[in-house]
Amino acid sequence: MSHPSPDACGACPAHNLANLKKLGVDMTGHDYVVALAGNPNTGKSTVFNALTGLRQHTGNWPGKTVTRAEGAFASGDKRYKLVDLPGTYSLLSSSLDEEVARDFLLFGQPDVTVVVVDATCLERNLNLVLQVLEITNRAVVCLNLMDEARRRGIEVDARRLARDLGVRVVATAARYDEGLPELMQAIAEVARGEVSGAPHKVGERSPALQRAVVRLSAAVLELHPQLPNAQWVALRLLDGDERIQVALRAGELGDLIQATDPSAASVVPSPPSDPDADAVDAAVNAVIELASQLRWQVGSEFHQSLMEAVYTEAARIADRAVTRVEGGRRFDLDRALDNLVTSRLWGVPLMLLLLTGVFWLTIAGANVPSKMLATLLIDWTVPALRSGAAAIGAPWWLSGFVIDGMYLATAWVVSVMLPPMAIFFPLFTLLEDFGYLPRVAFNLDRTFRRAGAHGKQALTMAMGWGCNAAGVVAARIIESPRERLIAIITNNFAICNGRWPTQILVATIFVGGAVPAHWAGLISALAVVGVAVFGVILTFATSWLLSRTLLRGEVSAFSLELPPYRPPRVLATLYTSLIDRTLYVLWRAVVFALPAGAVIWLVSNIPYGDASLAAAIVQWLQPFGVVLGLSGVILLAYIVAIPANEIVVPTILMLTVLVTGAPGVGEGAGVMFELDSTTDTAAVLRAGGWTLLTAVSLMLFSLVHNPCSTTIYTIWKETRSVKWTTVSALLPLVMGFLLCFVVAQAWRLVAS
Amino acid sequence: MTDPLVSLFVVAAALVLVAVLFWPSTGLAWRWRRGLAATDRVEVEDALKHLWDGEYRQRPATLESLAGALGLSGRAAAELVDRLGRLDLLHHDDSTLRLTPDGRRDALRIIRIHRLWERYLADETGLDAREWHAHAEHREHGTSDQQAEALAATLGYPRFDPHGDPIPMASGEVPPHQGMPLTQLPVDQAAEIVHIEDEPEAVFAQIAAAGLVPGMRVRVLDRSPQRIRVEAEADEVVLAPVVAANVTVVTIEGPADVTSATRLSALSLGESADVVALATSCRGAQRRRLLDLGLVPGTRVTSELRGPSGDPTAYRIRGALIALRRDQASHIFVHKHAEVSA
Repeated sequence: MSHPSPDACGACPAHNLANLKKLGVDMTGHDYVVALAGNPNTGKSTVFNALTGLRQHTGNWPGKTVTRAEGAFASGDKRYKLVDLPGTYSLLSSSLDEEVARDFLLFGQPDVTVVVVDATCLERNLNLVLQVLEITNRAVVCLNLMDEARRRGIEVDARRLARDLGVRVVATAARYDEGLPELMQAIAEVARGEVSGAPHKVGERSPALQRAVVRLSAAVLELHPQLPNAQWVALRLLDGDERIQVALRAGELGDLIQATDPSAASVVPSPPSDPDADAVDAAVNAVIELASQLRWQVGSEFHQSLMEAVYTEAARIADRAVTRVEGGRRFDLDRALDNLVTSRLWGVPLMLLLLTGVFWLTIAGANVPSKMLATLLIDWTVPALRSGAAAIGAPWWLSGFVIDGMYLATAWVVSVMLPPMAIFFPLFTLLEDFGYLPRVAFNLDRTFRRAGAHGKQALTMAMGWGCNAAGVVAARIIESPRERLIAIITNNFAICNGRWPTQILVATIFVGGAVPAHWAGLISALAVVGVAVFGVILTFATSWLLSRTLLRGEVSAFSLELPPYRPPRVLATLYTSLIDRTLYVLWRAVVFALPAGAVIWLVSNIPYGDASLAAAIVQWLQPFGVVLGLSGVILLAYIVAIPANEIVVPTILMLTVLVTGAPGVGEGAGVMFELDSTTDTAAVLRAGGWTLLTAVSLMLFSLVHNPCSTTIYTIWKETRSVKWTTVSALLPLVMGFLLCFVVAQAWRLVAS
Repeated sequence: MTDPLVSLFVVAAALVLVAVLFWPSTGLAWRWRRGLAATDRVEVEDALKHLWDGEYRQRPATLESLAGALGLSGRAAAELVDRLGRLDLLHHDDSTLRLTPDGRRDALRIIRIHRLWERYLADETGLDAREWHAHAEHREHGTSDQQAEALAATLGYPRFDPHGDPIPMASGEVPPHQGMPLTQLPVDQAAEIVHIEDEPEAVFAQIAAAGLVPGMRVRVLDRSPQRIRVEAEADEVVLAPVVAANVTVVTIEGPADVTSATRLSALSLGESADVVALATSCRGAQRRRLLDLGLVPGTRVTSELRGPSGDPTAYRIRGALIALRRDQASHIFVHKHAEVSA
């Protein structure tokens, strides 16, 4: 048998074309295939883009829903095809991403595998590197994010790392195009076959385990005498790796020989030909049978100890290569700040102070802009639109439906929602950027733990006081599934920006109106604060209940990192918080407000009997409303205002006027409105039959009712579970009904 | 308008009724549904499990043990045995009950499904160890072979359940029984717990309360007819012999490590230590999280910050400041350094 020289074999473009085609990679016009692997968030895509420029396209891995990017670059006189593998933390679990990555490394046998690692958390990234090195030694480690590392005072000794790992290590900062020429050179060298010896392997096992591995690898070697990584195959079989078992049966393991050692290519035995098929089958079965028996012996902790061995080794190597230059003064400042912020004396007062500050700024600062927006969008635009509609001869119902219904509701939501959010979110994000918020979670964790929740729920609650939808999205910071669900379901008990005006208005009129004038302001303020505090108490109570009953079986794993303090980047923060949070929530709100406005207008204008549909529904709901201490008008208003809490009060006013027929007030059927003077509003409401009880019931119901549709939609997007979305929507509603019922009946009992 | 007192009363009564009916696990509605499900087939399968278990452990089942295990009266147990005999699943000669090959095959099947479910509950849910057995019991009788196969695939074809028992393979293969009861372990011999008997529940609860789990390294310190003193990881545990008999161990080579280690939770502020190991009782997502944070053997950990309420504590681990709760920190065994000044 003639054997080609080792170098030529490795360099031959026809090498392994069939397998690559099966994996969806077409090698025509290219000399080498390079795989790009790495953890998520290591800047892998930056490296990919930096190497390939615009010469790339995306698609799917054949037969799977995992996306793949493919590109090409030229270096020297060779053309390289670059295949971006999914970002994974390891190759040992059974997730789809990891399967795809591992299959490509095993059976695609790339000429070079580049593993991108994050220089700022090396030990976590080395897990993947060590696992890749167990499969192939034709690898290059791309030590990326060196700029971040330098900023944080982390020094990585790339030479030391290269020595310990046994492969080339190239330091890069792909964002600034640093280190890329060296990377390309290293790739070229490895592609040519200039690989040094055997790469690092994870060792150290218990005697019993070692015996099992030795026995099994001996059996594997009998089957494939040239297999250089028989020990790795044995370990995979002992770990119960189905894919390797399948490969063993299908005879594909012979292909693995070339993946690791080009010099072995020269003595590859020809694949088992037919006459030997039965003997080969028997031998394969014997190996699998032996693996099966040995699996009983290696014990229940085998998989775990494998993973931990890799972790330990990664940690050891990282320790040798990484030095942290504790940035002297900055470190001390961090320490001092932490001691202050978490101290027994100052910790909690500081928190309360900051929180109050944020709220005050939001409410005070949003007042004027809200009024201005309302004037602009409603007071000026609506009449203009109406006259425009009249000018083109649109029928009254069309202009009513579109302008008074849809447009008005949307404009209302925008003018009420936008200013507070535009202030609250940036302030919050600034605190977040600075690094203060995790300390809040740290201080409050004990209380939340007693309720079965996570300290970070304090942050999602605070976010919820701005907007519940944003609070639900913020729950992403809680990685533990059970605590995250608790935070999402209870977020509604944080009074969002849209509900504050309702609370303040009702409290001022009715609660303030029930006490002597010089106390009025203080008492009504206290009433609103009282409701908010009650909301907090409800949050804890519901969290506790949920963790004991509905969410009992969900997984829970606490962790909280306290990152170093960072001077906040004000402009960048303003930009991202405006785009990410404010505009995003606003967009969703608009989408839901349009139909709401339409429904409001329709319900008020469609005739039913001798009055409107709205009047009929109000009549029908009245008994139920009274039992709860509310009224039919309030209930209908809440039903049509599911999309947004901001339009509850205007809708109530409109419906009240509609039902009571008060002359000279309001703008007509189906047109929401608000009155400038509180006295006027009070008059309308009292005409509608409101009492102090109604006000109290309303304040409570406003706190404890179903989330607005934007929030419900967001919960669905975040949890992807119909079950939990339904629970989140219905639980507060049922609780609200019960609460109002009990309060109303008790009130009447006491009053009688 | 109805009298408020009346309406309050009515609603309160309705709420109590709903609670009594639908309270998770203990509600009457669920109990009734479980009662319905306790059909003949369920009884037969439970009996097969008991019989096989006795055979495996070389403590053959008798009519009394069957009645006790299934909570049946003597007469009901005898009827059950007759039924099993007619189904050709067991022999009943003299006082012992023995499985036929068919009976063994069916027993292995149901045991496989039961243990796969326990593995799933232990690894993929946050349920407490004491609840695994009961939950698995609910589900096993309704699981088909295909579903069991799919479950095994999701879990990565595990070989052992969370109690340390082998999960029979689809082919019915099961390894020979290993190990001896803790009561027979010689003093000062290092051993590893391979199995903890989950019935009777009261005894299992005592073992769980003592903190013993499969995979844990133990060493008997001294033994008397009234009690056995055992060193288990960094704790000393005292067990009554009747409780210790339900713990099965195998001897291991080498010393039972982790004997003189401290728990991370015992570190005072400013102290440093090196991680030795994670407690065996720390499993699943919790354990993975701790490993991800870098708490592997050899890592240096310093206790740096404590909140105003005393819990959690923030530790410096490889340059990052990570907060851990006390119960988490108690799962981490460390060797202290000399005190480091802040």
